[in-house]
Amino acid sequence: MKTKYLLLIGLALAMAVVLGGCATGLSASSWPGVTADATNAYIAGGPYVYAVNLQTGVEVWRYPAKAATATPYYATPVLTPDGQLIVGSFDHKLYSLNPQSGAQNWVFDQARDRWIGGVLVTSEGIYATNADYNLYALTFTGTLKWVSPFQADQAIWGSPVSDGTNIYFGTLGRKVYAVNAQTGKQVWVKAVDGAILGSPVLGPNNSLYVGTYGDVLVSLNTSNGSIVKQETASSWIWSGPVQDGTNIYVGDGNGMLYAFPMTDAGQPWTQQLGGAIVGSPLVSGKTIIIGTELGNIYFIDNTGQNLRPISITGKIYASPVAAGTLILVAPTSGDNTLVALDLNGVTKWSFKAK
Amino acid sequence: MWETIIVNPFSTALLLIYKLIGGNFGIAIILFTILIRLITHPLMASQIKSSTKMTEFQQSKQWQDIQKKYKGDKEKLAQEQMNLYKELGISPFASCLPSIIQIPLIFGLYQSIMRALASTPGQLLIFTRAVSPLLNFFHINSADLVPLNSKFLWMNLGQPERVYMFGVGIPLLALIVAVTTYVQSKVTMPASPNPNDQGAMMNKMMALYMPLLLGYFALTFASGLSVYFITGNLIGIAQYALLGKVNWRALIPGYKPNTTARNK
Repeated sequence: MKTKYLLLIGLALAMAVVLGGCATGLSASSWPGVTADATNAYIAGGPYVYAVNLQTGVEVWRYPAKAATATPYYATPVLTPDGQLIVGSFDHKLYSLNPQSGAQNWVFDQARDRWIGGVLVTSEGIYATNADYNLYALTFTGTLKWVSPFQADQAIWGSPVSDGTNIYFGTLGRKVYAVNAQTGKQVWVKAVDGAILGSPVLGPNNSLYVGTYGDVLVSLNTSNGSIVKQETASSWIWSGPVQDGTNIYVGDGNGMLYAFPMTDAGQPWTQQLGGAIVGSPLVSGKTIIIGTELGNIYFIDNTGQNLRPISITGKIYASPVAAGTLILVAPTSGDNTLVALDLNGVTKWSFKAK
Repeated sequence: MWETIIVNPFSTALLLIYKLIGGNFGIAIILFTILIRLITHPLMASQIKSSTKMTEFQQSKQWQDIQKKYKGDKEKLAQEQMNLYKELGISPFASCLPSIIQIPLIFGLYQSIMRALASTPGQLLIFTRAVSPLLNFFHINSADLVPLNSKFLWMNLGQPERVYMFGVGIPLLALIVAVTTYVQSKVTMPASPNPNDQGAMMNKMMALYMPLLLGYFALTFASGLSVYFITGNLIGIAQYALLGKVNWRALIPGYKPNTTARNK
């Protein structure tokens, strides 16, 4: 009898431990965000934000002092013109760090949910979208200027973009919002097919492009939100598209890479790659660079020709980032935290966080 | 293995119910809990039967005589106890088994709720990979299910619940979980008039600790799990009531059990 109850109490305690583990493991899951300046690469890589020297691949600093395992950093870090590194955390706080030393400048703690996407930095200040359905405008000292006077319909995972007049962002609730950059007031809202997980991108002629989980790339008119065009992909589109002035590039869950013309000069093409495409492509001159879930980085000409795959261990969900003559790739569950390639795909160095 | 057998089918079942009832995830959790309880009802009935047998055994003259006889010889007492169990057809672990079965169900449900609500990119990617193909089998497009409506009454089912009053967050759901767990433990507890009955003492301890433990879970984890706990507690009481085993008087402070009325 006693054994039976002890067993039950033991199992209940085990349940507490396992549920705790489940909560942490599941809720903390995402992939790294990367950015770089002329000196360092900055990786929001889970329990720490790392600065890694671009010449040597050696860690310069890490933040915080104690690993934030339960509330990690995955939002893409963003540099400000006045020399700050802004990075959001799953602890609902937005941190400003000194890029040279990793010292904390300030913390903004008024959001009520996770920071999934990176912030937008303009000459006016910082615009930050949070999973609590709100857009926050901050000064460069971390003071709240305003929070959007309306709440979006759902969580906002992607970074916002701005054309100087308005701020644009998409929500998981399948809506695109335009908000006045000075006041935060809603200018227009438009429903699209599918949740928006990534960032929109601005194009020529007042166009705004968003990729959706509903397998479409939508082009909207920034002045009124009307849908101009819709392109269908073979699967979900996760991260935002990118553009090079003539074409817009986006990948999908089936590993298809698409180029859709934005102007008459553009030429459409598609390429079937190995593994799902989660991150955004990178445009580097006339080359498009994209990572896939199977651990390949593909270099391809912007005409859709001359495909060169490079294999890296791990899954590549994060978007590749350009840093001078280097391409930075942050694999998930691979041998390394960050890999630096040259434009020929040759590994220059790799960094593994210890 | 765990994912394939428990989490993915649970998530799919939850999402199918969600879709069928028009997009209310709270109601889907409640219906899913009822479904699970219906499936495991035979086990629950067997647990009640075994508990009753065990209580009767504890109070039987035969067992009390054996206890007196082998008071100083623990080894012999244990041996005689086992012989008596065999003779009376009692399995000491039979009443424990259904409770053990509940534990993987709770794990599975919690993971399913978190997966379905997908509040991080990683969770959504797992959802996309694991659950979508099963949903496609039922001709449901996963894009239609993202995002799920996680609002239920005043709660966001993917987050721990708090009701804010005068700027203070009150964990109302955690309190309801603790209270319903306590009530369930008390009214379904086998009665024992013997103050030295070890089983009865353990039951009393469980009636105190389980509400605290589940209340702590409700305080810490997604409120969807609390909806499961509360529904499970209420259905548990209903199941005992259907079998005529609920003792409401046990809730009265200072109540002394009358076993002849309760255990026959």
